[in-house]
Amino acid sequence: MGIEGLTRRARRRANLVSTTYSLQQSAMPLVDPFSILAFKAGRAFRREGTNTVEPSPVKGAIVIERGEDDLLHLLWKNRETEETDEDLIVFPEDASFVRVEQATGGRIYVLKFTSSEQRHFFWLQDASSERDEEFVLHVNNLLQIPGYVPEWNTTTEPQTSGASSSQSAAPAAQSSASQPTPEQLAQLRALVNQMSGTVSAEPEVSLIDILTPANLGPLFTSHPELVSSIFPHLPPDLPVPPSPEVLSQIVSSPQFRGAVVSLDRALRTGLLGGLMSQLGLPAEAGTSVEAFLRAIREQAGQGPSGPERMDTD
Amino acid sequence: MSGDDDPSGWQLTESDPSVFTQLLTTLGVPLVVDDLYSLDAAALAPMQPLRALIFLFKWLPGAGEPESTGGQYDADFPGFFAHQVVNNACATLAVLNALGNIPQLPMGKPLGELIGFAAGMDPQTRGMVVTSADWLREAHNALSPPSAISLDGLNLPKTTEDAYHFVVYVPVLGAVYELDGLKQSPIRHGEYEETGEGWTKKAREVIETRIATYPPGALEFSLLALHDDPLPILQKRLAQAHETNDVLTASELSQQLASESAKRERWAFENSLRTHNYVGMIHALTAALAKAGRLDAATEGAKAAMKQRIEAQKAKGSFSEDDYA
Repeated sequence: MGIEGLTRRARRRANLVSTTYSLQQSAMPLVDPFSILAFKAGRAFRREGTNTVEPSPVKGAIVIERGEDDLLHLLWKNRETEETDEDLIVFPEDASFVRVEQATGGRIYVLKFTSSEQRHFFWLQDASSERDEEFVLHVNNLLQIPGYVPEWNTTTEPQTSGASSSQSAAPAAQSSASQPTPEQLAQLRALVNQMSGTVSAEPEVSLIDILTPANLGPLFTSHPELVSSIFPHLPPDLPVPPSPEVLSQIVSSPQFRGAVVSLDRALRTGLLGGLMSQLGLPAEAGTSVEAFLRAIREQAGQGPSGPERMDTD
Repeated sequence: MSGDDDPSGWQLTESDPSVFTQLLTTLGVPLVVDDLYSLDAAALAPMQPLRALIFLFKWLPGAGEPESTGGQYDADFPGFFAHQVVNNACATLAVLNALGNIPQLPMGKPLGELIGFAAGMDPQTRGMVVTSADWLREAHNALSPPSAISLDGLNLPKTTEDAYHFVVYVPVLGAVYELDGLKQSPIRHGEYEETGEGWTKKAREVIETRIATYPPGALEFSLLALHDDPLPILQKRLAQAHETNDVLTASELSQQLASESAKRERWAFENSLRTHNYVGMIHALTAALAKAGRLDAATEGAKAAMKQRIEAQKAKGSFSEDDYA
């Protein structure tokens, strides 16, 4: 039956495994310690009966990782629902990621296989096309060269240390929902670096301008019952009893304001989905400052506000 | 004060006296650290006997460093000197270089064992041993915000300034020494007179000479004094004054005690703020604004503020999202 048949059968069997895997994964953040490479990409589909391929506007990401089956997987994750909607096993030298020359705009790529007729179309979604070549090169090298480890031009930790340490740390790391392990942080750091361009050119709104003493001070006096809802979140080793005055002091402190700036910056990376679940917020709340505010409004029973935008980001 | 996420696991800490004093408490050492705004004898008097001086500085862009700071390298230095092998550990390393040279200093068991263990080593090895002590690294990291909130691991674009550089001045066997973890050996600045003011007189000369060698405005620096914790001392003296019915002294001491206690409470408050993870609080505050129906107005105001900021930056010719930090 030859390798062709073997791969088809193995793929079907592996896809059963990977479906279960992806169901489990849908509850997890976008990237995890198994991920080797990730970048923003949408899917495109051939219109039936034609040769036209149309991009779907849904925001997603291509994530390449080594699965539990020790095979290389190319996943397409939906960034809006956090689900893994596509999970493809790629065997060495079987697949390639090629630009579709005829596509105007030039950012449409096709994943094709030598062993089958399967074609999967994607379009690059990062607002900047500066790193397109770099990503595509790494994708192809990963698909073609067994044991390939991408290296990046910018200064981050070498992928090797991140990838190898994650293999051993993964089972423990995945089970702990609270603090990320150093290995996970290293992976996240490398992956965020790959996904650069997440910091858009001009931010519209920042938390630091919302959580000002000017906005919060009057709140403390007018809504004492809301004030006590903040008390459980104060430093547990605070040497003085909580009170509106103490709350005002804290909110004006450089430590608090520094934390707001940090969170604001982190929200701009769009990768805080995992952290949001700890706050009882949907993962989507971690994709931007606006999404965070939207989710909080909904949680407070106010309903979302502001127009929806579906394009590159 | 987020900094490079050092692969060795040491986080960058702030250089406030409250942070240093908290570290000393954790190490079981009955000393405190205070800011010094002057090296005059009068300014130092309340803190005498001083155990060490820490000079922290960073060069501003464009300035260089003078060739030498006076004194002579002493490769045969008999005391404790460790090289700085991890940048982020610089503050704790400086503290250790001071503590390791204070005779008969009470200290917690782990520190005592570490210093004893490192006794016969060369400075480089000693530096590595100190940096590999997990318990010390944990004590050091406990002084800064939890990494989950600072999210340094996400390699966000940084506005970080470089870390301060620390130099310790300490009296050892009759001479004033300068311990700089980035230099090959300690520098011996010469003997001092035990009488009168003691070693700080000599240290003052050395430090003032050093500061004078930089072009004006070339560096930012601070001075810290490492000295005995005044609280137990004041309390003991107050008790004595009560016993001898020395009302005047008792009154003076009470005031000093109150002032010192107030300062320490302020430090305890700052430290608890410094090490807290604010994500929950930020969420709760934003939700409170929403429940009070004020989040929309606040958001509109924030958008206007951001627009203004962007316009202002464009007028200046550059924009960085970090400018509003």
